[in-house]
Amino acid sequence: MESNLGQADLNAPIPPEEAASAIAAIDGTRSWLAGRIIAPAWYHLALGLLAGGVIAEAEARSWALFAWSVAAYTVGCGVLMWLNQRRVGVAMKYFDRCTRAIFTGHVLVLTALSALACWLGLDRGVHGAFLVAGVLAVPVTVAFGRWTDRVLRTRLQAA
Amino acid sequence: MRSAARFDEVVHAPNRLQICAMLSAVDSADFATVRDGLGVADSVLSKHVRVLHEAGYVAIHKATSASRVRTSLSLTEAGRAAYEGHVAALQAIVGNGSSSARTTVQVR
Repeated sequence: MESNLGQADLNAPIPPEEAASAIAAIDGTRSWLAGRIIAPAWYHLALGLLAGGVIAEAEARSWALFAWSVAAYTVGCGVLMWLNQRRVGVAMKYFDRCTRAIFTGHVLVLTALSALACWLGLDRGVHGAFLVAGVLAVPVTVAFGRWTDRVLRTRLQAA
Repeated sequence: MRSAARFDEVVHAPNRLQICAMLSAVDSADFATVRDGLGVADSVLSKHVRVLHEAGYVAIHKATSASRVRTSLSLTEAGRAAYEGHVAALQAIVGNGSSSARTTVQVR
C-alpha cells in the first residue's frame, strides 16, 4: 500500500494531528532519557574530590601515600562509574568527537594544575601549593563534568 | 543519511513508538529503565516488547548477576531502519519533512 504525501494528505495513513502528537511523544521520551542520563551533582563532586585528593596529598611528600592515593582514585572512579551506570540503566557511546575533546581539555587542565604545583612547591619551595591545586581541581572537575552532561543532553534530544 | 519515509504499523502504537525512540538513542537499555520511561506496568511493557521482538525490531538480552536476572533491550538493524523510516513518514505527514521526504511513503 502506498500513499503519495507530496500530493495530498488525504492518502496519509493517519491525520496530521495524530502524526504531530506522535512526534511530540518521541520528543518527550528523548527529553526524559536525557534527564536520566545527566549525572547527579554528587557524582561530579565525588570525582572532583578524588582527583583533588591525589594532587593535594603530594603536599605530604610521601611516595607511599601517593601510591595509595592513586590506587584510591582508580578504585573510586571505577565504583562511581559503576554506580552511575546502574542508576542510569542504559549503555551508550558516551564518547564522540565533542565529549572526547572536553575530556582531553579536563586532563590537560588538571595536568597544568599539577605541573604548576610541582614548580611552585618543589622548585620554588612555596608551602601549600599542592593543597591549593587539589582544592582547585574539585570545581574544575565539576565544571568539565557539567559541560559533558550538557553536550550529552543536546546530543540525545537532537537524535 | 535520511531514511526513506515508511509508515510502520508495528512501530506506530504509542508505547512501541516510545520504546523505539528510547532504544534508538542508546546501545541498550534495562527493561526497568524503559518501563520507568513509559510509566507502564511490567506486563504492559512485556507485551509490547514481545510484538517488537517478533517483528525482528528489538533484541532481548538476559544477564545473571548476583542471582538476579537483568533484562536489557536493544534495537536491531531492522528495528532502527523501521523506526527512522516511520519518523520520516510522520514528519512528511505533518509537513516538517524536507522536499526529499515528500515522496511516496510506503505503508507496512
